[in-house]
Amino acid sequence: MLHQTATTAPDVVRVEGLVKRYGDFEAVHGVSFFVSEGECFGLLGPNGAGKSTTIRMICCLAAIDGGTIHVLELPAFPGNQAIKQQIGVVSQDDNLDPDLTVRENIEIQGRFYGQSAGEARERAQELLVWMQLESKAKAQVRDLSGGMRRRLVIARALMGKPRLLVLDEPTTGLDPQARQLVWAKVRELKSQGVTVFLTTHYMDEAERLCDRLVIMDHGGILEEGPPDEVIARVVGEECLELSGISEDQQVQLARHLGEAEVTFSEWQGEIWAVFGSQLDRLLQRWQTLESALPRFYRRRASLEDVFLRLTGRDLRE
Amino acid sequence: MKGIVWPRFSHGAVMVFRRDFLAWVKYYKSSLLLNFGEPLTNLLALGFGLGMYVAKMDGVPFVDFIGPGLLAVTAMNAVTFDTTFGAYDRLNVNGVYESMVTTPLSAGEIVAGEFLWEACRSLLYGTVFFIVLLALGLVHSWWSLLLPLPLLITGALFSAPALFVATKAKNNEQLFYYFSLVITPMFMFSGVFFPLSKLPVLIRDLILITPLVHVVDIVRALILGHPTDSLWVDAAVVVAYTVGLSILPATALKKRLTG
Ligand SMILES: Nc1ncnc2c1ncn2[C@@H]1O[C@H](COP(=O)(O)OP(=O)(O)OP(=O)(O)O)[C@@H](O)[C@H]1O
Ligand SMILES: [Mg+2]
Repeated sequence: MLHQTATTAPDVVRVEGLVKRYGDFEAVHGVSFFVSEGECFGLLGPNGAGKSTTIRMICCLAAIDGGTIHVLELPAFPGNQAIKQQIGVVSQDDNLDPDLTVRENIEIQGRFYGQSAGEARERAQELLVWMQLESKAKAQVRDLSGGMRRRLVIARALMGKPRLLVLDEPTTGLDPQARQLVWAKVRELKSQGVTVFLTTHYMDEAERLCDRLVIMDHGGILEEGPPDEVIARVVGEECLELSGISEDQQVQLARHLGEAEVTFSEWQGEIWAVFGSQLDRLLQRWQTLESALPRFYRRRASLEDVFLRLTGRDLRE
Repeated sequence: MKGIVWPRFSHGAVMVFRRDFLAWVKYYKSSLLLNFGEPLTNLLALGFGLGMYVAKMDGVPFVDFIGPGLLAVTAMNAVTFDTTFGAYDRLNVNGVYESMVTTPLSAGEIVAGEFLWEACRSLLYGTVFFIVLLALGLVHSWWSLLLPLPLLITGALFSAPALFVATKAKNNEQLFYYFSLVITPMFMFSGVFFPLSKLPVLIRDLILITPLVHVVDIVRALILGHPTDSLWVDAAVVVAYTVGLSILPATALKKRLTG
């Protein structure tokens, strides 16, 4: 599967036929996608889908067992310094240095990227202010709240002035205020021309932030495209949720689904959900029936619907 | 040889050293205390207490004999404790190494940085112990001014296997095996408390292929002031061990972090 970008700018990330094995288990099999310069790209998928594994290979942290990855036109392999120098990474697990203060944590990162003491100090100060952490500069990291820690990790990842920022679940466990702040910062970075690659389990987050996304499961890609296109393609534009109806009623109503462009309908527990476009035609039709129309809730289809449609409703181990 | 990773002494390694220093500054008081309780007790209780009943060892009073040996052991232990438990945490508990390799730092640079830091730790803790010996009148020679050199190398030497053990350990308890199976026996049999000359040849030769005994020899010769030509052999063994062991942790750490 080859993708062509509209622009001629080279891709910031190009993954082709990527494979990763752990023993006999193939965690990633034959994944291909690209990330264009300046976009915010989302990698979505249930637990164990292979997101972090893919990210580790992109960030030169894990060996590649098949296929190729190019980051900023350089081939990725474990320890490729030329790539690592130009990217910032926020790992899924919190890995701040508990023996250092907030300021030391971020300053030393700049030194790891080869900055002089003065340069690192200045940039650290800028980023602490930017992430609203300046008042905590002298604190030990163990004294920070979860939201502050995450903000610090993101600030730290920016110390090296990366062209590509990779965020593995940057907002997991954050309260709405902290999430909003992270979103605002990601948008700001994007407007400064930084390419952002993120994973998240929050579909609203992906829908809002991402220009394009990929949904993967069991190590393979299921869907790819801009959020609204993916939604329209997989589930349609809107959803009708009918509650308190019997199966007989549902059979009656289902006869008329042809009135609209219904993509699919399904039982979600006690609720019967109908997805598609131009559902008002369906509603009008139903209103002409003798039996009273059951209670319904009409809403825009979301990425969450897509996600559940593609990856199923079963819990993952 | 493919797959073998050497420590890489670079600007990045110096920054890893700097990180360790910044961390150490926050707990140096308790760290110094912790590292001196045991050797000081040994020195006072054994040296002065037991020393009353022991005839001279190799021609010097017992306390003068064990002082330099305990200095070498203090350096070894200061490095070994810090490296095993510290590195284990940095690798398995708080993700410090994991975070470092997301930057341009490589596993080889991390290991080199740890070596640099442990060399300094060894120098530092050795020097403080030296001052104690000095105060007790147990230093007998200007040759002692050369001590920093063997102390620095001792730090790097013992941090290598300790870091390797920390990388390979599956859990915290396994680190104690290293102490009870390697460090403590070495401590007891490396000529710290008694000269090797009266031991059966086979046992003596066995001891002579371990590194601590050579460090003890060097330190004692400098402090008591009778260096002999055999010190070159000791120095050669210590350097060979340091270089040889240094590939173990770098190789293992790279495998762990980017496997
Ligand atoms: N070091 C490893 N050894 C063996 N299996 C692994 C290893 N790392 C990951 N896996 C397996 O690979 C699969 C993908 O894991 P990965 O961490 O990439 O998932 P993920 O999409 O990031 O999930 P989550 O949303 O839970 O973070 C999982 O089945 C996981 O158990
Ligand atoms: Mg993950």
